[in-house]
Amino acid sequence: MVRAPTIADAVTSHSSFAVEATAGDARVGQLSFDGTELTTPNLFPVINFYAGGREQSLYGGGIHRTMKEFMTGRGHLDADECREYFDAAMVSVSSLTDYGIPRDTYETYLETPIKERDEFTEFDGLLFVDSGGFKFLQDGELDGSDFEVEIDQAAVFDIQQQLGGDVLVNLDHPIAPDDSYQTRVEKAKKTAQNVAEFLRLSADYKSARYLTVHGYNYSMFDTFLDELTSVLGPHLVRSCFDGIALGSLVPKKDNKGDLITAVSDCKEALADYGFEDLPFHVLGISSSSIPLLIALGVDSFDSSSYIHAAINGKYHTSLTETVPLDDEPFEDCQCQVCSHPELQSWMRGETEYKKNELGAVSMHNLIIQKDAIERIRTRIREDGADGLTEYIESTVGRKRSMRQFAHRIVNESLGGYF
Amino acid sequence: MKKSPQVNEVNEFLETASDFEDPLEVIRESLSNSYDADASEVSFEIRSQPNGSDIIIEDDGTGMDRTTLETFFDLGNSQKTDSIGYKGHGTKIFYKSDRIVVETVRDGTALRATMDKPWEKLNDRVLPEYEVTEETTDLDRGTRIHIQGFKSGQGFDPTSLTYNKVHHYLKWKTIAGSTAHYFDAEDHEMEIHVELDDEIDDTQPELRTTNRLEFPSEQLRPSAGRFPAERMCKIYPPQDLTIDYEGGTTTAQVVGMVGGKAARNELPTFGKHSAQFGVWLAKDFIKVERVNEAISHDNEFLHFFFIANCQELELSANRGKIRNKSSAVYQALVSELDHFMSKVAEDPWFKDYLEQRRIAELDRKAESQLSSVEDRRERVRQRESFEPTNQAEVLLALERSNTTASEPVRAEDFQMGSDINAMIRKDGEVWSSSLHPTLMDHFEAEKPLQSVEKIVCWDLGDRDQLQEIERDGYQGGEVIFDFAENEIIYKNGSTSRVEIIQVADRLQQ
Repeated sequence: MVRAPTIADAVTSHSSFAVEATAGDARVGQLSFDGTELTTPNLFPVINFYAGGREQSLYGGGIHRTMKEFMTGRGHLDADECREYFDAAMVSVSSLTDYGIPRDTYETYLETPIKERDEFTEFDGLLFVDSGGFKFLQDGELDGSDFEVEIDQAAVFDIQQQLGGDVLVNLDHPIAPDDSYQTRVEKAKKTAQNVAEFLRLSADYKSARYLTVHGYNYSMFDTFLDELTSVLGPHLVRSCFDGIALGSLVPKKDNKGDLITAVSDCKEALADYGFEDLPFHVLGISSSSIPLLIALGVDSFDSSSYIHAAINGKYHTSLTETVPLDDEPFEDCQCQVCSHPELQSWMRGETEYKKNELGAVSMHNLIIQKDAIERIRTRIREDGADGLTEYIESTVGRKRSMRQFAHRIVNESLGGYF
Repeated sequence: MKKSPQVNEVNEFLETASDFEDPLEVIRESLSNSYDADASEVSFEIRSQPNGSDIIIEDDGTGMDRTTLETFFDLGNSQKTDSIGYKGHGTKIFYKSDRIVVETVRDGTALRATMDKPWEKLNDRVLPEYEVTEETTDLDRGTRIHIQGFKSGQGFDPTSLTYNKVHHYLKWKTIAGSTAHYFDAEDHEMEIHVELDDEIDDTQPELRTTNRLEFPSEQLRPSAGRFPAERMCKIYPPQDLTIDYEGGTTTAQVVGMVGGKAARNELPTFGKHSAQFGVWLAKDFIKVERVNEAISHDNEFLHFFFIANCQELELSANRGKIRNKSSAVYQALVSELDHFMSKVAEDPWFKDYLEQRRIAELDRKAESQLSSVEDRRERVRQRESFEPTNQAEVLLALERSNTTASEPVRAEDFQMGSDINAMIRKDGEVWSSSLHPTLMDHFEAEKPLQSVEKIVCWDLGDRDQLQEIERDGYQGGEVIFDFAENEIIYKNGSTSRVEIIQVADRLQQ
C-alpha cells in the first residue's frame, strides 16, 4: 500500500548551494536544482510566460512577449546570445489572470509545464514560481474573465507544480509597514500553517522549496520564526527548506535605510535559527539596491524594474543610472540590443508596435543589470571585500542620495573605510 | 604704435604692504622664508615700542646672496618657483616700518642691508632705497632681520598679543601648522621660538614649537565621568584624494581628526572652537579657508579638524583667501572632500562618539531631574497644605474636593491649551468650563467669557486686579464679579452669567 506523504518526507533536499568566494557578508555561490545550475548573486527577471495569447504569440504579453522572443531566439537576437540573461526567471501564480483570460485558456496554460513546452525549449534557466501572496492577500482568488479560482495553499501549490517551477515558495501573508503587532502575529500564524501544508503537499515533489519570511527588524523576524517553529517544530524548520525568500519589502523599496535594516536583521535572525547556509532571496527589489543587498549577503533578487523603467521611458546606463529614452543614448552602449541596427531603430520608435520599442529597451535594461551583477561577482572573486568596497564606492557611493547607505554597508558588512 | 602700460611702483608697494596689518603676518611670512631657506631653527622677538613694534627674526637657514637680497626687497620678483613665497609679495609687509635691517650670511659672505623710513617714504610717494654693505664673518649661514617701528593696523596692536594667541596663530595660519610631514618624506623639521616682551605677555619666558601640526593622541573609547566623550579622539590617517576635473587631474592630501572638546583643547585653540574647527583647505600645507559645507548639516563641524592640501588653489596676495573658487578644479576639490567627509560622518566610531555624547547628556539630565525630584519631595514634605500651581493640580484638587464638598463636581475631559479646557459635570449637566489655578489666570490668558459656563479655579487670585478688570471692562464688555453668589455677570450686547467654582472652598467644606 502506498503511504500518503507527510511533512517528515519533506526533509529531503533537491538542491545544493556551494559558496565559492566571499567579501565580508557578500558571497558568490553555485546553486544546483535538479540539474539546473545558477551562479549567485543573480537577478531573476520577472516574466509573464502566460499573458493572454496562444502558442503562436508565445502566449502574448506585449513587452513580455518581446522578452520571450529574445529568450527563445525568435527575436532579432540569437537565443545563445541571450542565454546568460535568462539563466533564471521569476513567474508568479497571481499573474496568470493579469490579462483577463477565459477558463479554457487558463486550463491550456496549465496543461504542460513551461520548460516542457516546445516554444520554450531554448529556455533552460532556473524557474522560480512565486505564490503571489501579496496579491492574494487582497483578492483571495484568481479572477479570470469567466471563472474564478479560490486560492489557498493547496490551489497555489497545484498551479506552481503545473507551471513546472524549479523553485516554489509557500503561499504567504505579507505584512505592511503599518500593520499592528497583533496583525503581524496573525499573518505569521497563517503563513506558518500554509508552510506546514506546503511541506505536506510538496513532500514527494522534486522541486526546491523556499520559505518566505516577513519583517522589518530583528524582533519581527524573531516573532515570525518563533511562530513558524511553534507550528512545525524546530527540526522541520531547519531541515525542510532549500532557501529563504524575504518578502514584504516592496513598500520599503525607496527607503534604503529601512531596506538595509530589514535585510541585515533578517540575516541575523536567520543565522540564529540555523538558516545561514541557505541561499537567500529578496523578493521584488532590484536596480540601485542590488550592490548594497549583495554586500549584505543576498544571493538572488527578482524584479520587473527593467520593464517598468522602459515603460517610463528610462534607459539604464548602469545599475544606478538611467537617462531618458528620448535622448537616444544607444551609440555609447555595446550591448547586444544597442549594437543591433534593427533593434536600435526599434528603440528610436521606428516600429509598428510599442511592445517592440519598449521590449528592446527592456532587454537592454536587463542586460545592463545582469552584466553589472556579473562584474560584482568578478570583484568578489578576484578582490574580495576591497573589490566590492571599490565597486560600491564608485557606483552607488557617488550618488548623493545613496552615499550614506553605501557608507553604512561598507562599514557594517565590508570592514569599513578607516 | 605699441605702448606698454605703466606701473606706478610706489603705489604698488603701498598697496601690497597695506594688505598686511597684523604683526603676526610678519611671523607667517618669515617662517615660510626660513623654511624655504632650509633653516632648522628660527626665532622671533616682538617688543612693543611707542612708535610701533620691534620685531627681530633670526634663522640658521642658507642666508641670502646679493641677488636673493634684491628679491627680498623687490616686489613680485621672487626667484622661488615651487616654494611658498613664490609671488614675491610676502616680505613687503616689512615696509610698514621705520627701519629694516637685514644681516645675512651665505657661504661665509655676510651682507648687511638697511632701509630707512620705508613706510614714511612710501606715504610721501617716494620709493625707499636700501643700502647693502659686505662684511666678513665667522658665521657660515643664517639671517637676522630687525624691523623697527612696525605699524600694525587698527585692532592689531602687539600689546593685544599673548603666547596663547601667537601659538594658535602659528598652528592655524602659518607653516608651523603644516601637515606636510604626514605626506612628504622630504619635509624637514624646524624649531620655532617666539619671545614676547614682558610688557606684552609675561606668563612664560618664550614659546617653543615646530613647523609640524601634531594631533592629540587617539582615545577611541569613552572616559569615566560625566563627560565621557570629551577626550575621545580619532585620527584619520593621511590620504591622497584624486581630484578629476574638467581639464585635468590633481590630488589633495587630507589628514584630520575628530574629537571631543578636551581633545581639541590639547591643540593651541584660541577663542570659540566654532571659528577654528571644521574642514580647512590648505596650500603649501598652510591652512587658508574653511569649507564647512563639506560636512553634512547633521554633523556639528566643530568636532572635526581636517586639513585638505591642494596645490591647485590660487591665493590672494596676503594668503587669506582662495581666489579660484569658480574654477573647475576648486569645485571638484570641494565635491571630492564632501564625499570624503561623508565617509567620516558615517564612520561607526564617529556615530559611537555622538552616541556617547548623547547618552552622557541624558545621564546628566536624569541626574539633574533626580535632584529636582528630591527638591520637590522636600517641598511636599514641608508644606502644610496642598495648593495647586498648575491646571493639572487644580483637576486633582477638584477630584479630591468631591470627598468633602456636599455636591460633586467632576471633570469629564481636559484639553490643555483650549479656551474651554474642561468639560465639567455638575447637577447632572455637562458644562463648558475654563479651569485655572486662579480666577485671574482666566483673564490674564485673555480667554472669552461668552462661551464659558463655569470657571473652575483653586481660588480667586489677586482681588485688586480683578477689581481693575471690573473698572476697565473686558474684551469690549462690562464685567461684574459677584463673589457672594460666586458669579460673573458679563454684558456685551447680551448678558451672560458664569459660575465660579472655587476648589479651595470646596475642600474646606
